Amino acid sequence: MTVTLKEMNGKKIMALAGEIDMSASPLLRKELMALVKKKTDPLLIDFENVSYIDSSGIATFVEGLKGMMAFGGKLKLAGMPSGVKEIFSFSKLDRVFEIYGSIDDAINS
Amino acid sequence: MADEPLITVSEGYLRGIEKKVEGLKALFEMSAIISSTLDLNDLMQLVMEKAKNELQAEACSILFYNRETNKLEFEIALCTDKSTSDLLKQKVILDVGQGIAGWVAEKLEPLIINDVQADKRFCGDVDKQTGFITKSIVAVPLIGRGGLIGVAELLNPGKKDYDPEIFEILCKQFAIAIENALLHKESIAKERLRQELEIAAELQKSFLPKSPFFKKGNMNVSAVNISAAKVGGDLYDFIEPAENMAGVIIGDVSGKGVSGALYMSKIISDFKYLGISADSPDIVLNRLNALLADAPHGMYLTAVYLIIDTITGAARVSAAGHPPFILVTKKDVSVMDILSGPPLGILPAEYPYTQMDLSVGDRLFLFTDGVFEAKSKSGERLGFDNLVEFVRKHKDAKRLSDLVIDYVKDFSEGTEMADDLTMVEIAWSDIP
Repeated sequence: MTVTLKEMNGKKIMALAGEIDMSASPLLRKELMALVKKKTDPLLIDFENVSYIDSSGIATFVEGLKGMMAFGGKLKLAGMPSGVKEIFSFSKLDRVFEIYGSIDDAINS
Repeated sequence: MADEPLITVSEGYLRGIEKKVEGLKALFEMSAIISSTLDLNDLMQLVMEKAKNELQAEACSILFYNRETNKLEFEIALCTDKSTSDLLKQKVILDVGQGIAGWVAEKLEPLIINDVQADKRFCGDVDKQTGFITKSIVAVPLIGRGGLIGVAELLNPGKKDYDPEIFEILCKQFAIAIENALLHKESIAKERLRQELEIAAELQKSFLPKSPFFKKGNMNVSAVNISAAKVGGDLYDFIEPAENMAGVIIGDVSGKGVSGALYMSKIISDFKYLGISADSPDIVLNRLNALLADAPHGMYLTAVYLIIDTITGAARVSAAGHPPFILVTKKDVSVMDILSGPPLGILPAEYPYTQMDLSVGDRLFLFTDGVFEAKSKSGERLGFDNLVEFVRKHKDAKRLSDLVIDYVKDFSEGTEMADDLTMVEIAWSDIP
């Protein structure tokens, strides 16, 4: 997994690529929680190039979400390929996270 | 003997030979010490003590090279004054390139300085911190097979006429002995960890039902649980919340390994406590969700919990973000994607229940995602639809659970199991 941080229209975006699994979660956690700690709001996550996410990866986003909610911040997940989206909807996590079709939709939300 | 010619040698030559013999004796003694122990601390203590005495030095120390920080840290210091040794070990860290030891670590060359105060490389910080006055120094890099291990220093050696060649051989031997001791220490630590994990796995299994089979009234339950790591985060349990009632839960904690297992153990305890006092699964999941609200590291649980009347076959099912289960009847195979709340431990949420009635011959198959997310050698995942298809094809097989497990194993043959795999089968028959 790779993590790239960028900014569009003044909004911070964390773009991820590859498989987010047990071995990738520590890096993801470090990067994500650093942004949460800085109260980056809103924080957009670009899933366009993510091929798979396992429960340890999702748990990292749950931790991020809880951290954001603590100060009223918004965590927005966007651009999920259908396979990844299925993992979220299968676990009813689409009711937990704000999920957008594309990163543009998330920027304009 | 008398015919042998007389050879005249100079006194200097004789002294040279004597020195060599002395050096070889020291080398021999040191070799004996080095091979006498694999304990790192003993080894360093013994060798440095010996070196200190041989060179009549006032103090000696070993600084270890920390690859991660690229710094030198005092590992052992033998000074006349113990408090100085303690001070060095606690506080002093040097950069590579800093001071005499730093220079030796950088250049990987030994250094002998008879007057350190006149040497620009000497950094007086350590002396300032310890109160020790360094006049002269012998510093050597300790280089093992894997590169720099550290730097050994002898301070204010009284003896100046030692054989540098012998000294160098000694240092090489010492470095290899340290490396061996470090490897030994590491292998002991690994072995200990392996044993700890084995105990953890055993302990964790003790939280699951003693037997994977459970029978009550017309209901027969069986479970299969295989952990990817030695310890895993999947769980299942059978309880009896009331007379003629059976509760069956299957769940998957996010995360595997020790953290998943620890959390799983806590959840099972919470579930046993909550489950025994409630006759409807929605109540239990709602309470469990509240209890797990402060889960660390975003950990959560997906679960399906059923309470079945073991006389009538009436069942209530609640789900929390868990994959759908499969109902196999005499006629049909259906995917039961019932009304569900999100996984437990994330947000305050409402968990409803769905009512179902089991008829004779009905079988329910509950899985964790490890079953259908199994990965093949070429990186493909089995997929839920393929799993359903397989069940459909073999719906009349008596040992369907075993067939499914074999199917998953065959699919992922040659790959390392990535996730725990749990499957629970609930069969309703007319034979009590």
